[in-house]
Amino acid sequence: MSAVLAPELEVPTLEVRNLQTRFHTRAGVLPVVDGVSFTLGRGKVLGLVGESGSGKSVTGFSIMGLVDPPGRVEGGQVLFQGRDLTQLATGERRALRGNRIAMIFQDPMATLNPVLRVDTQMIEAVQAHRRVSAEEARRHARDTLGRMGIPSPDERLRAYPHQLSGGMRQRVAIAIAMLHGPDLIIADEPTTALDVTIQAQILSEVQKLVRDTGTSLIWISHDLSVVAGLADEIAVMYAGRIVEHGTVDDVLDHPRHPYTRGLIDSLPGANARGARLRQIQGMTPSLLNMPVGCAFAPRCPHADAACEVRPEISRPRHEAPWHQVRCFHPQQGRPAAPAAPRLPAAPRAPAANDQAPPLIALRQVAQRFGATPPPGVVGRALRSVGWNRPPVVTHAVDGVDLSVRPGEVVGLVGESGCGKSTLGRIAAGLLRPTEGEVIVGGTPAADFTPAEQLAARLRIQMVFQDPYASLNPRLRVSRIVGEAALLHGLTDAAGLDDYVCAQLQRAGLDPALRHRYPHQFSGGQRQRIGIARALAVQPSMLVSDEAVAALDVSIQAQILNLFMDLRDQLGLAYLFISHDLGVIEHLCDRVAVMYLGRVVESAPVAELFARPAHPYTQALLAEIPSIEARGARFSAIRGEIPSPIAPPSGCHFHPRCPQAMPRCRTETPRLRGIAIHHASACHLHDAH
Amino acid sequence: MSGVSMAKTYDERSIWWRVAADFLHSRIAVGGLVVLGIVVLAALLAPWITPQNPYDLLQLDVLDARLPPGSHSSEGGYTYWLGTDGQGRDLYSAIIYGLRISLTVGVGSALIAAVIGTLVGLVAAYAGGKVDALLMRLVDLLLSFPTILMALMILAYVGKGVGNVMLTLVLLEWAYYARTARGQALVEARREYVDAAQGQGIPRWRILTGHILPNCLPPLLVIGALQIARAITLEATLSFLGLGVPITEPSLGLLISNGYQYLLSNEYWISFFPGVALLAAIVAINLVGDQLRDVLNPRLQK
Repeated sequence: MSAVLAPELEVPTLEVRNLQTRFHTRAGVLPVVDGVSFTLGRGKVLGLVGESGSGKSVTGFSIMGLVDPPGRVEGGQVLFQGRDLTQLATGERRALRGNRIAMIFQDPMATLNPVLRVDTQMIEAVQAHRRVSAEEARRHARDTLGRMGIPSPDERLRAYPHQLSGGMRQRVAIAIAMLHGPDLIIADEPTTALDVTIQAQILSEVQKLVRDTGTSLIWISHDLSVVAGLADEIAVMYAGRIVEHGTVDDVLDHPRHPYTRGLIDSLPGANARGARLRQIQGMTPSLLNMPVGCAFAPRCPHADAACEVRPEISRPRHEAPWHQVRCFHPQQGRPAAPAAPRLPAAPRAPAANDQAPPLIALRQVAQRFGATPPPGVVGRALRSVGWNRPPVVTHAVDGVDLSVRPGEVVGLVGESGCGKSTLGRIAAGLLRPTEGEVIVGGTPAADFTPAEQLAARLRIQMVFQDPYASLNPRLRVSRIVGEAALLHGLTDAAGLDDYVCAQLQRAGLDPALRHRYPHQFSGGQRQRIGIARALAVQPSMLVSDEAVAALDVSIQAQILNLFMDLRDQLGLAYLFISHDLGVIEHLCDRVAVMYLGRVVESAPVAELFARPAHPYTQALLAEIPSIEARGARFSAIRGEIPSPIAPPSGCHFHPRCPQAMPRCRTETPRLRGIAIHHASACHLHDAH
Repeated sequence: MSGVSMAKTYDERSIWWRVAADFLHSRIAVGGLVVLGIVVLAALLAPWITPQNPYDLLQLDVLDARLPPGSHSSEGGYTYWLGTDGQGRDLYSAIIYGLRISLTVGVGSALIAAVIGTLVGLVAAYAGGKVDALLMRLVDLLLSFPTILMALMILAYVGKGVGNVMLTLVLLEWAYYARTARGQALVEARREYVDAAQGQGIPRWRILTGHILPNCLPPLLVIGALQIARAITLEATLSFLGLGVPITEPSLGLLISNGYQYLLSNEYWISFFPGVALLAAIVAINLVGDQLRDVLNPRLQK
């Protein structure tokens, strides 16, 4: 380990010296990458971590020479095996790109051409750098897919990108990057858009490939936990500079920079369950008017007069001289958090009142979307003579019971396509279920008068995932927040302005900003506007559909704290939908795990995380990346998430389940109690 | 909050301010805007900047017919800088007054068509189902006919006159707005902010007019700008064909039509100068419209 950053005799694969990339925009010159330097040895994995706007992706693009105008690499050197890439002619650079240096992007649908088959694209990629026949290129492509652990590569080669799942597409993109056995791969958040189980599979495959081939890898991510499991070294970026760089253990166990420490501390896993998360105040500064000295100083609890000068690299640890920090006040010791034992905090006062009638109860709710498949030419002709194919039914939600009591926080976990969002929309009254009953405040929704229906709708409000799409770009914040309250008589026209200010204040926003438009706010602020809008109609429950998923770690902690404050101050109940088990574990009283439209397990949060009963829950828990789990560990559950259009028979999970029995294929397990408040749907429970 | 002072320094204003700032970035478009401004100003101020009222037959002198540019009037009162036409009209005055008619017809019909078309489009998107299908098939029907043929048919039925030309243009143009408004409204209706508004118990019609409509405006504005140019061209074409405005109140198209029989006898100016004026107006409007389209293109918006 000590050799990781120590000078090596051989030429390192990549050496970046004082890289400067600036964007010349109308508003001014943005120093997006501002003096980044690092060295990456052969076969090493560097995790480049930072929040949005930190310049991590642009660093990757600068190394590749793919920065688009108005951006320009304006200074520094990028030495690839000793050659300075910034001095190479375009043609020489292109010869290296895709051949010796490859890149993997976040969105494989954007990297793969949607109108060309996979084999066409792969053959082209092979022939771009090798003079071989199409036949030979195809064989090579097939071998590479095979090495990536992709089942039935011939079938994948014949497919168009849209016929593959997201995870499979990303694998194909990685295989294309691996075609020529490059010396360096730059991966820009390649697993961010993927589900936990699929992410774990890809991480383990990439890890194996890198180890087998000696390829160096730069893994760009906002997620410390993912990088912790994969990388040898971590470099943390903030506002265009690397603020801390060291081995994974150095950076995570002995973070010296206050920003790194703040990031680690604000992870839900580093805080006592249910307690307020330690958060970094404020937000990333605009690159247009950066502080003269340390960029982090305005948010830093340790900042003083010294920080008004730009800090240089220092090496504060004698035992680890390669550990670099850009700070005048390097912190001592381990992070403050008691990381290992996650004891439940003292039970909250109004917690899950068993006696109170539920705010909302869903009984055997199902949502099926029927659609006749678009007919081909033959189908059209047949239809014109009266023959019709039966509609294809998507079982988005398939018979779910769920209730939320006043003041209770219920978590809903699952991977994409499991129906958790659909269920959330049913709970919020935005969708009427095709089957089953929704009971709000003791009355079935079907029996509501229009006035009751409106009241029920206002009682349960929704906070959406996308802080951009969920706010109308053409309306001012004051109207976004105040319109419904005024319309429903919660305030009058004279008191509206004060009312809106009060809501914004509760959501932690400066009321002076109420006359602005949504585009003038950052993602975290926008999410606060969405929360203020929900609060304005005085709800008793919020449905949060991945409301923090799109936010940076430090901002995520702020919003989660806001949710917890509102719960304590207003007694709000939550249906908290998330794919992030760390967030769920931190916030929720009770958790329901969904798989392909069904709840497979439901239990109080401590019970579920301590004694997961269903194999799917067990697998999910095993796949959570965390900063404690380092090195090779990803024990992927096999296979992909099946389509909800044709779910597997019997227990939907049986094709991926390590403990599947013949019976699982034919018989659907029922959700039944296995302990107090703990229910699970699995045939294994019958055996005992 | 440190973010407060920061955010205030830039972009305090609405989206429309940004659009205006972006718009002014293209020199060509600004040029178009200037030409358009001159044309509109000239049309507005016509009585004060012209030596003659071309519609007042008493001011016309047949003896001055078809004088070349630069000639003096027989009564010596003023110079015909652009010459005169077959009736002895001062072409400069006739062009300015003709611009007035062309612009009134173009802008007026485009505006009325925009209101009607947007309304129909929103109703179709809102109602869906059979109403939607019916309205949109009607739109398809209208758009599938050759425009001139339709215009000739309608004008042949209702007769000549400025009002009737406008009516014809409105009948021909609303379909473009309807189709765009419907498509845009359907796209916007799927956005999450519409879900949010529904979840807050805001009535559907209010969501449609107060939330969805403002988001549909940019593409409609672009179509509007280009349709004005189209309407002016169409009016000129119809007048040229003798089905537009009455001969005593010539628009640009009619002036061109009056002059073209003299083109072969080297009296080019009667058609040429109105043609140049028409060209300038239409090119200016198109330049402005194109730039609007670029600026308002959601893909280019940040």
